[in-house]
Amino acid sequence: MEIAKRGKAAVTVVSNAFIGLGRAQSRSLGHANLPLAVIPHPFGSRTREEVRALAEQCVAEIARLAAAK
Amino acid sequence: MNRPLSPLTRATLVEAPDDLDELIEFFHARRWSDGLPIVPPTRERVARMLSCTQRKPDEIIAKVAPGFGEATVERIAINAVMAGCRPDYLPVLIAATQAMSAPEFNLQGIQATTNPVAVWLIINGPIAEQLSVNAGPNCLGQGTVANATLGRALRLIMQNIGGALPGDMDRATHGQPGKFSFCCAENEAQSPWPPLHVERGFKREQSTVTVVGAAGTHNMNTHADNADELLRVIADTMMFPASNDYWIGGEPWLVLGPQHAAILHAGGLSKAEVKRRLWEESKMPARRMAARELQRTQAVRESKIGPINEDTMLAAADGPEGIGILVAGGPGTHSVYVASFGDARAVTREVIA
Repeated sequence: MEIAKRGKAAVTVVSNAFIGLGRAQSRSLGHANLPLAVIPHPFGSRTREEVRALAEQCVAEIARLAAAK
Repeated sequence: MNRPLSPLTRATLVEAPDDLDELIEFFHARRWSDGLPIVPPTRERVARMLSCTQRKPDEIIAKVAPGFGEATVERIAINAVMAGCRPDYLPVLIAATQAMSAPEFNLQGIQATTNPVAVWLIINGPIAEQLSVNAGPNCLGQGTVANATLGRALRLIMQNIGGALPGDMDRATHGQPGKFSFCCAENEAQSPWPPLHVERGFKREQSTVTVVGAAGTHNMNTHADNADELLRVIADTMMFPASNDYWIGGEPWLVLGPQHAAILHAGGLSKAEVKRRLWEESKMPARRMAARELQRTQAVRESKIGPINEDTMLAAADGPEGIGILVAGGPGTHSVYVASFGDARAVTREVIA
């Protein structure tokens, strides 16, 4: 959010169980259109290898959202 | 019709139905309640509440996560009225709002997690008696105005100012009854040790509120009649493999009943020694955890405590001082284990009118 406030491209990565939280919180903080890149829930119990695989899956989407900013 | 009082930090006047039944439904429909009927926060009631603090109504006490709404004195007072608080409770709620907004309390995590964590309010010092906050029999139960309404008011502040509505920003999988209210005082008169606020650096004659991220309460009924045996069964109860305290390195709490506290004191133990013994004796073999939890524990705790494998004996906190102890309750062979959210640290603030 702080990055977005400085006019830089900012993307938040959320698991699908927290989309509502992400949207509500960005709205509350004055950045209703902050882009969200969504990954499958749960995230907290992933191994490092699984996190790496998830990152590879969503990196293109993150880049697309950041470029659209 | 909404009519702002201006400036922005002042509350908005809302025309509401005169009929009490309709009024209660009016609040439910807007999700301004916790599901229970509220006391209408009329201008007169809010003014009476505000008369018990020297602070200005538009003073911002904190920004409350996760919505970061501004908790002005007036907004805290409005929620206090709605919860049924008496006017002289207001300074406690102001201090509690300050405390839970301290960074180390991690209110963002507490409000938005899937964990059932509630905010437990502990009152110490002279104000506990002045406000008749129950520290004795059934202090964590129903029946005392201060305990019931102070905890409820803090929940309304978290929901209405912080924006953590269940199912929206409050992501709790189940929640817990303590999210309606969770408040007690310490039974300082029957504690054999210095009270919590003195332990945390305040003078005995100061009044304080301490906030704790409490995952739930687990009763321990034991007729153990010596310190060694009592510590052993309490330590054994603290260990459970699905505990946040063990994989994060948390801050578990114990509410010792006065009888149990007296047994430990008679065994020659200071509060610090009780903590040290419990910290040692409640170490749990990491193999009791699910494989996923063991991986998470390694990721989170290895930087602090070194390599972790299935044979590692994990402590519930990073050190003995991480265990919180409160003496409260009435006669009986009971104490309560309060497992914590794990990723939060208790905060104490002085209550000042």
